[in-house]
Amino acid sequence: MDEDEHLHRFGTPLEPLDKDEVPAKKPLAIEDQIVKDENGKRRFHGAFTGGFSAGFWNTVGSLEGWTPQNFKSSRGEKAAKVQQRPEDFMDKEDLGEFGIAPQGIRTRDEFSKETEEDRAGQRKRKLMQPNLDGPIPGAPVLEQLLRPVRDKVAVRILKSMGWKPGQGVGPRQTRKEKQQATTRNKREQYLLEHYGTEGLQTKEDREGDAANGNDDDNEEDEDDEEITFAPDDYEPVFYTPKDNRFGMSYTGLSRAPVLSKGTAPAAPMQHINLFGNLEASSKNKKLSIRGQAFGVGAFEEEDEDIYARDDMTSYDFSLGDKQAKKKKAQYVQQKNVIDGFSEDKSGASCQTAFSIDLPRDYRPRNWLQRRSRFAPIDENRARHLAKDTEYKKAGLGRHDLDPEQRAKLLGEETVATEEQAQQEQQQPKKNPFKTATSNERCKSLLERISAKSDNFTRGGLITATGEEQSAPKTQAPEVPLSTDVQQSNAELLEKAAAKTKDLPSGTPKNGFKPFLGDEAKQQRYEKFLEANLKDDGEITKLLSDMQPVTLSLWDREMEKKEFIQAAKIYKPLAGLMLDRFVSEATVEEVKKEEKAKPADQRKIIMERTKAMWKPCAQLCKRYNIAEPFGGAMLEPPKEMNKRPKISIFDYLETSVNTKANFKTPSIIPQHIVPPKPQVAELPQSSISVEKQAPDVESNMATGSAKIEDIKHSPALSITKPTFVPKTALEQAVEASKNKHISEKTDLFKSIFDDSDEEEATPAMAQTAPEDRLAEMKAALGLPGSSNAAAVNLLRNNSPPRGVFAAFFTEPATDEPKSVPKKAPKFEPIPGNQLKIAYKSREERLKNDKELAMADVPAENLYGPRLPTPQATTTSPTTAPIVIAEANIDAKLQQLWQKHAPKKRKIEKWVERKLSTDDDSEDSSSTGSSSSHDSTAPSKSKRSKKTHKSSSKKSKKHKEKSKKKSKKRDKSAHKSKKKKSKR
Amino acid sequence: MPAAFVDFQCGRTIDCKQGAVRAVRYNVDGSYCLSCGSDKKVKLWNPASGLLLKTYGGHADEVTDVSGSCDSNHIVSSSLDRSIIYWDVSTGLPVRRLRSHAGGVRCVRFNEDSSIAISGGRDNAVMCWDIRTRRLEPVQVMKEARDCITTVLTNDHKIFAASLDGCVRHYDIRVGEMTCDKIGEPVTYLALTRDEQCLVAGCQDSVVRLLDCSTGELLNEYKGHQADDYHIECGIMASDAQVVAGSSEGCAYVWDLLEGKVVQRITISDNGGVVHSLATHPKRQELLFARRRDIYVYSTDVEIIVEEI
Repeated sequence: MDEDEHLHRFGTPLEPLDKDEVPAKKPLAIEDQIVKDENGKRRFHGAFTGGFSAGFWNTVGSLEGWTPQNFKSSRGEKAAKVQQRPEDFMDKEDLGEFGIAPQGIRTRDEFSKETEEDRAGQRKRKLMQPNLDGPIPGAPVLEQLLRPVRDKVAVRILKSMGWKPGQGVGPRQTRKEKQQATTRNKREQYLLEHYGTEGLQTKEDREGDAANGNDDDNEEDEDDEEITFAPDDYEPVFYTPKDNRFGMSYTGLSRAPVLSKGTAPAAPMQHINLFGNLEASSKNKKLSIRGQAFGVGAFEEEDEDIYARDDMTSYDFSLGDKQAKKKKAQYVQQKNVIDGFSEDKSGASCQTAFSIDLPRDYRPRNWLQRRSRFAPIDENRARHLAKDTEYKKAGLGRHDLDPEQRAKLLGEETVATEEQAQQEQQQPKKNPFKTATSNERCKSLLERISAKSDNFTRGGLITATGEEQSAPKTQAPEVPLSTDVQQSNAELLEKAAAKTKDLPSGTPKNGFKPFLGDEAKQQRYEKFLEANLKDDGEITKLLSDMQPVTLSLWDREMEKKEFIQAAKIYKPLAGLMLDRFVSEATVEEVKKEEKAKPADQRKIIMERTKAMWKPCAQLCKRYNIAEPFGGAMLEPPKEMNKRPKISIFDYLETSVNTKANFKTPSIIPQHIVPPKPQVAELPQSSISVEKQAPDVESNMATGSAKIEDIKHSPALSITKPTFVPKTALEQAVEASKNKHISEKTDLFKSIFDDSDEEEATPAMAQTAPEDRLAEMKAALGLPGSSNAAAVNLLRNNSPPRGVFAAFFTEPATDEPKSVPKKAPKFEPIPGNQLKIAYKSREERLKNDKELAMADVPAENLYGPRLPTPQATTTSPTTAPIVIAEANIDAKLQQLWQKHAPKKRKIEKWVERKLSTDDDSEDSSSTGSSSSHDSTAPSKSKRSKKTHKSSSKKSKKHKEKSKKKSKKRDKSAHKSKKKKSKR
Repeated sequence: MPAAFVDFQCGRTIDCKQGAVRAVRYNVDGSYCLSCGSDKKVKLWNPASGLLLKTYGGHADEVTDVSGSCDSNHIVSSSLDRSIIYWDVSTGLPVRRLRSHAGGVRCVRFNEDSSIAISGGRDNAVMCWDIRTRRLEPVQVMKEARDCITTVLTNDHKIFAASLDGCVRHYDIRVGEMTCDKIGEPVTYLALTRDEQCLVAGCQDSVVRLLDCSTGELLNEYKGHQADDYHIECGIMASDAQVVAGSSEGCAYVWDLLEGKVVQRITISDNGGVVHSLATHPKRQELLFARRRDIYVYSTDVEIIVEEI
């Protein structure tokens, strides 16, 4: 209080800040207020930066840069007077809406609509010149009160033409006309009210109405013909083009709020910008947030539509200045549009009315007009109807046939005279089935088809008379049949008739003749059917008695199979059904019998069967019983369908043409020649090296033989042609051939589980023994130092010293000293880089060895040494290699035995080994063959031998290899891949 | 027991009010009984007093069989809705609903310590359910049967399954062996003697047969009743002296085990009705019969029951 008294105040105090009020932003200082043009560019600049906005971005340049204008000689144009317009000296802005010379189209004063404001404005401007004459200063009051009435130009024009307000526009009408017009207008108005614009009738209707009106007032007409009236004034109907697919005169519900202010349905929805500030009223400088979300505050005066439902379309969902765009668009739009108008955006005027092309024979029908039922039908229609119902009149055509024809249709025996038969034969008819004689017809359709198809496959022709003939007899089917052919036909027919006659009808064998093409065979088949044998041996015996001697063993076997299959397939349907169904009478009988039998007589014979059953571990646990056999029981094999179901697919599966049936007699190709590698790609320089290849190859072969000896027990040595029993895997493959895929998972597992082993083995054969060792180690997951060396070429290969020595001494003893350093095998050969860097196996081998050798003495060297082709590395070097190989292999085997999982069976190993050896031989032979190709003239004897031996070996395992070929292919492929990776 | 046979007398008749009674079973000690109704409910009764103790509702179809656990805390019931429900006795709520059968489940039984429920169904499968764990799949499924399983039984190391294919299969867990005894007649019910040496098999041909478990021999045949086409149940008394079987004409037969003679023909009702289900008391000479909507309690000495009340 005291302080207040002591304070001195200067100036007027500011209004105390309202609590709610957020302190307004600091007002922009004058120097910060920047005038910008419509593009947002700064318009005024400081004196030093260019003053008024000019040029391109206040520079003299342009967007393209400052480019001098091309000199254009005006010499020729000097004479011509150049009219300069003021626009030439104006800026773009000057021509804009707010410039000094706006370019938009505007209505002139006289024509512009005269609103109050406009008037006032005009008046104001007029009155700006002070009228100093009058007694009352300022605007003359009377003049303000009495405003001159000025009509629109159109009204004035109309008036000049004799129009008076209240009248309609148009030519003068007679009384009658006027009456019509009024009625019409009334109706239109009514329709407009009720149905909108769309419900209006078409012009024709109106005309029709007019005509009606005419009739009524005909008499009075003549009296007042001369008196004319002005037409009525009425609101003309505007037709709006339909731009939606709603029903007629339907408009969807407006999304505008119902309770909003009066103009709501018409007014466009207000757009609410979610990202902008909520509308803050500046009234009383109070910041009050209004909006749908907050309801109506107590302090708000307006009782706004609080029940308005929000529409999500009125919200923005992305940041972006939409309004700026709009503004621009507006600016552009207004340029060539008169005030008060706006450009038609809908493009309705551009829309072309689509004319519907009516079908040529379209006849409009008035559904209201009805025709009498008894009126005669339209001619066309009558014709149509007659056509449609023709068959009714004709009936089924049954009665048009004579008994003979009917008999023919039914396939009855006709008492056909010879002549008739001859006639029939002489007339070549098109349908082969119809022309067949009655006897022929007796045969079943199937039979004929089968016979025909049988011959058809052999290249025979079905002649016009329906009989099959071998190709050479009839060259051209189109040629009319010669007499001898006809005779032969007749003979054939007779034969067939004879055949069918002596067969008792009804027996199942009569039904089908699968071997009609071969008569003897068919007879044999019939006999076979009669014998009805079940035992395989008996069948063969029976057939062998009948079969001609000329038939080969294979053919006999084939025939037997065919017969059995045919008997299965061509079992007549009745027989099949008999197997499956029993008539009710028999069932009843059986029941009766059973009932008749006293219960005592039915002897119950107890049968006890035992089977393995594996209780699951959990069950045993819950029963507190140890699992039988320590849980080592085999899982019972899952049986899919114990009960055989008769299915058509069974027959299909066991048809004669299955692979299994053809397997035995087929000749297995001795040796599949692998595709030769392209010799052309071999670099020329490598030939010299490959000349020694055969020697190396032979060494390899012998080496591998040694390895075999070491590895396998003597009983299973390779040199002896012994029968190798099928492995478990092979057996599984055999067994699963006919199984469902889902059951084969085990097989797949067994194949792919040890795939690594399989992959490894062929690779082993192809690579150097050192590599094999390394691979084996890798496969076993041993810490192979060779692996590390392979990974890191820059690694110090010197023996470990110090503490590390202790770590690495143990593996060192286990391994051969010459640990291979895996040089990149596909390193491009220098000087030959463009060619594909292909090296023969021998070469690679040698390189590896060289590297391995080089590694031991040269400890300081890093990286792979480039291969130096040594011409004199023949037997002296290869011999020790072989020994080394043998050693390594022995070690390898030890290693394998040490680390191999125990469940692997030795037998399996042997088997696999054999195959892989075989494989290796194969591959080596291919390799050698490739080398042979390249060095064909200098083939050495030794190489030949090796080749032979290899082929022999491959022969030995021919069968097996065939079976496994697929698998091996895969593995070989894989190994190749591996190699390429390395 | 060589003691003379005393006739069974009707002690009590209970109207179950749950539609047709499909099966009636004693609990482990015979103090309570369970009835399965065609109204999809299981009811727990005191057979002596005829008091309804609890109703267990939750099945979606007729309940076919029920079995109480050894501690009488849980019930397992099978239904034609192909599910088995494991119930809590006191709360009356289903603890677990086990679904794996492909057809309606016909029979269900707990093993001795109630850790495994064994069920047999119309899908020819016997399934063993581990009740202790929360697993909803059976621990083991035996699908050897060629027709509906009608009864499953178990003792400490074997599971017996009777099937309509005329076989009784013994699954010996201890040995890991399945023994199939073929009778040749559809077996509708199976009961195990107390000494677990013999099986009593009710057959479709109106003969109850006594089978030797170890050898599979047919020891005796009991005839006289009518099975017709009904699944008539049979039983053996706790003393192993008598064999009981229902009949289709509203009565039950009691045979002497050894001699095979009809000792008593219990006329349960004069106006017919199939006596299809029965239960023998685990200790006393007491029987439960199910006929139509009712349960009948039969006992040799009615006094005991009266005393209990």
